[in-house]
Amino acid sequence: MSPNPAPSLLDRLRRGEAARDLGFLVVLLAAAAWIAVPALSGDGTTLAGTQTAAVVVAVAVAAAGLNLLSGHARLISLGQGAFFAIGAYVSAYLSVDSALHPLVAIVVALVVTAAFGGLLALCTMRLRGPAFAMVTLVVAILTERVLAEWAPLGRLSGYPNTLDHGSGLMPPIEIFGTSLEPPLFAGTEATVVVAILVVAVVALVGYRNVARSPWGRSLHAIGTSEHLAAHLGVNVFGRKVAVMALASTYGALGGVFYAQVFAHLQPESFTMLLSITMILAVILGGAGTVAGPLVGAVIIVLLQRTDVLTPLVDLQRQVSDTWYLSTPGLIGVLLVLTLAFLPQGIVGGLGELAHRLPGRAAPAAAPAAAPQAAAASATASSPAPDGDDVLLAVRGVSKSFGGIKAVQAAELVVRRGTIHAVIGPNGAGKTTVANLVTGVYGIDSGEITFDGRRIDGRRTHAIVRAGVARTFQTPLLFTHASATENVLAGFPDTGRLPLVRAWLKDPGQYRRTRELQDRAAALLELVGLGGDGHVEAGSLPYGKQRALEIARALASDPRLLILDEPAAGLNTAETAELGRLMLTLRAQGLAMVVVEHHMDLVTQVSDEVTCMESGAVLAHGTAAEVLAEPAVVEAYLGVEMEETA
Amino acid sequence: MDAVVSGIVLAGLYALVGQGLVLTFVTTRTLNFASGELLAVGGFLALGVGSWSWLPTPGKLAVVVLVGGALGAVVHRWLVLPFARGEHDSRWLLSTVGISYVLLNLFTNGEGANPQRVELTRNPGTVEVLGVGVNKQSLVIAVIAVVVTLALVAASRWTSGGVIMRAVAEDPRTVALMGISPRLVGAVAYAAATALAALAGVLWASEVGATPGLGVHVLVSAFAVAVIGGLTSFWGPLVGAVVFGVVVQVSAYELGALWGQVAGLALVIVVLVLRPEGLVGRRMEAKL
Repeated sequence: MSPNPAPSLLDRLRRGEAARDLGFLVVLLAAAAWIAVPALSGDGTTLAGTQTAAVVVAVAVAAAGLNLLSGHARLISLGQGAFFAIGAYVSAYLSVDSALHPLVAIVVALVVTAAFGGLLALCTMRLRGPAFAMVTLVVAILTERVLAEWAPLGRLSGYPNTLDHGSGLMPPIEIFGTSLEPPLFAGTEATVVVAILVVAVVALVGYRNVARSPWGRSLHAIGTSEHLAAHLGVNVFGRKVAVMALASTYGALGGVFYAQVFAHLQPESFTMLLSITMILAVILGGAGTVAGPLVGAVIIVLLQRTDVLTPLVDLQRQVSDTWYLSTPGLIGVLLVLTLAFLPQGIVGGLGELAHRLPGRAAPAAAPAAAPQAAAASATASSPAPDGDDVLLAVRGVSKSFGGIKAVQAAELVVRRGTIHAVIGPNGAGKTTVANLVTGVYGIDSGEITFDGRRIDGRRTHAIVRAGVARTFQTPLLFTHASATENVLAGFPDTGRLPLVRAWLKDPGQYRRTRELQDRAAALLELVGLGGDGHVEAGSLPYGKQRALEIARALASDPRLLILDEPAAGLNTAETAELGRLMLTLRAQGLAMVVVEHHMDLVTQVSDEVTCMESGAVLAHGTAAEVLAEPAVVEAYLGVEMEETA
Repeated sequence: MDAVVSGIVLAGLYALVGQGLVLTFVTTRTLNFASGELLAVGGFLALGVGSWSWLPTPGKLAVVVLVGGALGAVVHRWLVLPFARGEHDSRWLLSTVGISYVLLNLFTNGEGANPQRVELTRNPGTVEVLGVGVNKQSLVIAVIAVVVTLALVAASRWTSGGVIMRAVAEDPRTVALMGISPRLVGAVAYAAATALAALAGVLWASEVGATPGLGVHVLVSAFAVAVIGGLTSFWGPLVGAVVFGVVVQVSAYELGALWGQVAGLALVIVVLVLRPEGLVGRRMEAKL
């Protein structure tokens, strides 16, 4: 590691974040200028190109929103085209038929669509499995039908139409004395394109801010494992509803752009194929990457609206003039091929390639400025001043799954700043107790208190926010993200940063990002991963993955840490290291519950031990007492019961 | 009353396709989003074999159903298995959507979008049921749906097949250790499901004519039915289809055909709020 003075390196990092944000904005502005200049020329030959570019922008914005939903949170929606259509038709209807000011109509359309998306999510997000995709498909097909058959929307004559409205075109928006003209007539400056580009740039910058913020990280967590996301303090259900509403708004905004560009809507433009086009844009570009949906939208719209596919169709028609695929079928083929050969998409695949390239050294890990101090502050939860030293109390808790009694009248009391080991043979109900404490399952009877307050019946994220963190029996990590990124997910911001602040990315967010980076580096240092910050979590050896999970759990600044078999799969040296780490953390005032089989570790670190068997508590006391108990020895070694009976 | 009876009778078509969805879902936790287009393929196959005068009608029907089944196995092998690697892999959903567009486009280019008359299994005319004139063909479909449902329920309850199906979905690795191939079970489920869709396609195309888009609205209704009834029980599609059919037909009778469909969607949403696991699905609290 180079002996760089820390401040200069931090400065560089600081500039890096802002410079990258600025770079993205510059790229967007350059693209916008490239579209706007010919549009403003009013030259008739540029009309077709301007329309295509505007459709790219509309689809890109809708696909960006869809990416947060389907790429990050992996909730596959087949209905983004429907939200696009709703945005387009509602804004048009309100400004033409209801005679609202067009800008008001647009805002109302966005709000209506967001509410509709949120409502659908409220109803479908309780289920895991394909129900969400099925319902979005039903919505897309029905929307298509309503547009084609409902008289007030003009049916197949489109909206507006000459028969009902006296004109087939929406009047242009008047703003500050200028009218925003669509790119439809030669000799007219297509001013609306400029307005669209400005709004699109703002929307896309906001999208990128969200995707790269702790809020975006929470979506990624939901996509990886809802179980994990809840344990990072994320209100999973609420966040799924929120991301659906956000994605719907972006879809509607794309539709509003579309309506403004063509000043007329035809139901044929909003078929199910539009929804498929958008999901394909996300997947082809790279689901879960920032630039992916934008790249995907450019490619797909150009494939659909230009004649690049014509040679491919002609080639087929030379073989058979009846059985061949035209654009929609080729889009279907492209979708299947992308899923099979490029599941990470273009941007994701390039990122992977860049990562693997031997020439490019991994970015040097930022040396922790002051590991000791930061580590201390990371876990500096001093014992509460009140006299009660009980932090967690599980009293008489029972839980059955179907007919199986997993836990029966379990008792577990953890005092502040102590380590309480839970031992027992496999299937004794140890992990189930951990899951009951963090609210994964509801309890059937008994009560659980944390810091004097009842926590049974509360949801996981609420319990985590109260100060409980945990690791899992099999490490649950973002295997494709760096170790630092994994620790960053552990900070409370993941569950608590409001969407608006993530979207706006105020200067406070830059400061917070730097602070979290430093604290993450310190936590990695603390668990012995100081040099591994940039390493992909999935490629770390097993022992380090376990340590990484502990670092992530510590990031939430917990008062109680539940470790579920932390020594499983560790070698002797790693186990000893783990023991030292636990003692360090205890010295800093952290209480721990450790579910463990490794008796050396248990005797080394634990203040109290509870032994469970078949869901019930068998013995409780100090390690020496419990391990001397004949019943405990029997439970482990399987001595015949008759001998003692 | 008219609307109620016709709703119940129409439910047969949705239940038949919905049964295929349940069949693949309980065994593989996946669904075929191309079921609608495969149903349309069934209609066109009927059109194709219709001219084989040497083959009696049951033989023709058998050919269509067998070819449908084979297509189902192909879809499973090439479009589902490679895209369903593990619990978090839901690419199968999009790959089957992708192939549905390939089929739709291929048949639209090859056969045109206009309905073509299918003579195989045509039952023109109406019969009286509870004093209401009911389309004979719809009644035939409804009877077949009930027979198929009873057969599946019986098979899952009284044969080892039922246990195998549930076990494959819950723990494919253990099932594999017991000497049963989860892939084979999945392929059989897809074959059976697609054979049902092809059968529904023949029967429905005989009524309304074969078109490439024949299946789109049937699949949407079958999805609604499967969500309403629940994807985990063979009773689900039948129960869901009757409720859905009646609600759609009654609202269509009162408000027009378009709003009948929208009322169907509203029903789906209401059921999801009140009973997310479906009317007859089982609520499961799984131990992680």
